[in-house]
Amino acid sequence: MSVEPIRAPAAALLTHRHLRRLVGATLALAGIAIWAALPQVLSRGTVDLLVFTALYAIAGLGVAFLLGQCGIVSLAQSVFYGIGAYATAYCCTTWGWPWYAALVIGMVISGATALVIGWPVLRLSGYFLALATLALATIGHVLFLEWDWLTGGTLGVGGIPQISLFGLVLNTPQKFYYFIWPLAALIYWLLYNLLHSRSGYAMRAMRDAPAAALVLGIDVHKLKVRIFVLSALLGSLAGSLFANYVSFVSVDSFGVDRAVSFLLLAVVGGAQSVIGPLFGAAFVTLVPNLLSRVGDVHPLLFAGVLVVAVIFLPQGMGGLVTTLWRRLWPPAPPAPGSGT
Amino acid sequence: MTTTLFIQSLLAGLTNGFVYGLIGLGISVIFRGTRVVNAMQGDFALVAGIAACLALDWLGLPIAVGFLGGIIAGALVGWAVELLLIRPTQARGGSEDSLLLVTLGGAFAVSAAALLYFGRDSRSMPGFGGNRSLDVFDAAIRVHAVWLIAIAIVVVVALRLFYQRTPLGQSILAASIDPEGAATIGINVPRMRTLTFMLGGAVGGVAGVLVSPLITIHYEMGLLLTLKGFTAAIVGGLGNPFGAIMGGLLLGLVEAMAIVFVSSGYKDVIAMSLLILIMIAMPNGLLGRRGRVGG
Amino acid sequence: MTRADAPLTTTPSSALLEVRAVSKSFGGLHVLRAVDLTIARGSITGLIGPNGAGKSTLFNIVSGFLAPDRGDVIYHGRPIGRISVVDRSRAGLVRTFQTPQVFGHLTVRENLVAGCHKLGRSGMLADMLGLPLARRELAQMQRRAALTAARFSLEPVADVLAGKLPVGQQRLLELARAAIADPELLCLDEPSSGLNGDEVDQLARMLTQLNEEGMTVFLVSHDMELMGCAATVNVLCFGETIASGPFAAVKADPRVREAYLGA
Repeated sequence: MSVEPIRAPAAALLTHRHLRRLVGATLALAGIAIWAALPQVLSRGTVDLLVFTALYAIAGLGVAFLLGQCGIVSLAQSVFYGIGAYATAYCCTTWGWPWYAALVIGMVISGATALVIGWPVLRLSGYFLALATLALATIGHVLFLEWDWLTGGTLGVGGIPQISLFGLVLNTPQKFYYFIWPLAALIYWLLYNLLHSRSGYAMRAMRDAPAAALVLGIDVHKLKVRIFVLSALLGSLAGSLFANYVSFVSVDSFGVDRAVSFLLLAVVGGAQSVIGPLFGAAFVTLVPNLLSRVGDVHPLLFAGVLVVAVIFLPQGMGGLVTTLWRRLWPPAPPAPGSGT
Repeated sequence: MTTTLFIQSLLAGLTNGFVYGLIGLGISVIFRGTRVVNAMQGDFALVAGIAACLALDWLGLPIAVGFLGGIIAGALVGWAVELLLIRPTQARGGSEDSLLLVTLGGAFAVSAAALLYFGRDSRSMPGFGGNRSLDVFDAAIRVHAVWLIAIAIVVVVALRLFYQRTPLGQSILAASIDPEGAATIGINVPRMRTLTFMLGGAVGGVAGVLVSPLITIHYEMGLLLTLKGFTAAIVGGLGNPFGAIMGGLLLGLVEAMAIVFVSSGYKDVIAMSLLILIMIAMPNGLLGRRGRVGG
Repeated sequence: MTRADAPLTTTPSSALLEVRAVSKSFGGLHVLRAVDLTIARGSITGLIGPNGAGKSTLFNIVSGFLAPDRGDVIYHGRPIGRISVVDRSRAGLVRTFQTPQVFGHLTVRENLVAGCHKLGRSGMLADMLGLPLARRELAQMQRRAALTAARFSLEPVADVLAGKLPVGQQRLLELARAAIADPELLCLDEPSSGLNGDEVDQLARMLTQLNEEGMTVFLVSHDMELMGCAATVNVLCFGETIASGPFAAVKADPRVREAYLGA
């Protein structure tokens, strides 16, 4: 160790930290202002896509959390997305339940399903676990098709009422936008808290070295199951809101390709950063729309992007942005003489 | 239920079983040689089916030659996958999950390319013996299905001999079991891995050209074939090629029984549940050797 | 206690952990045959033996990573041969690994915070909502991590990702992380491999110090220098205990010499 630590001027430190905070706050404020203004300037179709971005971000966040914090590849999110959507479709149309009751029922069923399936399945790892979730997605899709008394099969269920909030019916993309995005932000906040808590450290410990986590008294299996259930709850929530928003659901929305796009958005966005899946969700919703004129190109592009992202961009776009941000505004100036 | 219907289902299950077995065989070959679970094995079959279809339709080649073209196409895709996907992923220290994601991405790419090129329609393809059938206890089995079963058996036997008797087969196994040791005795380990993928691609190709005349070619067929093949390989004990065929037969018969006694809609549900159950309850497969010596 | 001169290790009341007639075989290969071993409360107990003697297997059975075929492990007078690693950890039995298992994508500080896991009890819901209980616990864990980092001289690297540390420091971190929640029995698997002479000295000092504070240490090692700080050393050879006692006595035992030199 150096005999006399060289002190950086305190004033410089302060300005740096203040500047960093100032820039951060300004960016956040500007972001909120832009967010609030977007529906006023964009076309109805584009706002619709932004609503979908939020829906996918919520469901995809569950997948990203499993992948990034627990190292679990889940291709089963379409199942929980479907359970949520059909719970809302059935309860709201057949029994005339209010949207929030149906949403809760969907989440209860999804959570219970995730618990019952996850308990045995999450004992698997690596290839086996990923393929098991893919098998679950296949099973889910077939059951959604076969149980037509519940799901309407290929014909689907129509006439699902829109969400009504204190007398205000969310019947336009603009209105739904102002509802779904704050909800997404709330979920982001919750997960951010979780990640930076005792449970969050336990998760990341488990991801990096499961045997060592066990030794520290972290019940790895129980923790995995809990996060799987949490992920399912998010999928179900997004599915229910999706059903209310589009007011029609059919089995096409809950196939394996949907599970793949949830996983893709997690991988592309970067599963390890909390903000990553947002980029991923924007990518997954906006790109097919941009390419719609060219025909069915986007599945090929998605597949290619998935491959390239896994090989070359393990941190995803979120990781890229985080790195860039840190490079521009390092958290603390490197203390002189600290390099050993 | 009549006996004829029952036998008919059994025959269909048997035929499907050999198809699943062949896909499982390819997964098993690749796993044995590289320790990679290849999630695009079914798409090797899809590519081979499409290639054979093009060779027959456009070039008007004889069936056997068209099939051979399809198998070669499968091997070439296997080569490309190892070179373009597996190698870069492993060079960057990719985990099991990354390898699986990469091959899954490859599978979706093949399927999406087929969609772009072929559209959403299915294509039928001629098989051996045209549409002629043989009678077995009043039930019918297509001549092509008999060929399928015969060729599958030949492939299994040939592979067994290849691994047991040929220096190349031995080198592939050595390169997989102990890469460093193999390298020191002069085995080109990367080449063995590439060859393994080509072999896996060719086996997938055999499955593809043989199954296509029976089920028609469709852009989405790859993933389900992969899952069924994986079920076959898991039931038989992953890395045990002979077991994959037995696993495939078991799966085919279970599906046939599911169709007879439950409903045809649920056959995939039953197959996938079987996969999950076997993985949880018997990770070494029904035929797998159990008990591993700890280090 | 019948004889006044009986060594402490054989009196049951002072045993923190006892291995009783444990056997284990893998595929017909008998790795352990009716092994007995006692770890006295407050002691540093060593286990040595030539390669392939079954040390790792015995260690894994003690720490709960393997179950014995026959026999049992008694901890605090209770049989624990079949209870999980997590439950053993909560009961104060903690181990390290031959190749250090640090949480590579976490900083040294975060590794230590994760090490405090079992000291807290906040649930996932409380953590998500950021309830005061959860925050208070986390703050306590962070304070403890800072103290431990200082104690194990890890402060200079506290914000370095653990995966980027050299092996020596990873070992030290693993030790610190194992010790942070005040375990009763700390089991160390080859803690000195990959360390240089100075680092081994530092390790020996740390172990002695932890032991003086009341932590019982169980040490599996090739390292004869490190064994110097053990009160009792057990020698395992071909799945059987061939000697047990103070290190100097064990070293002089002809069977031990034969096992090491004659093998």
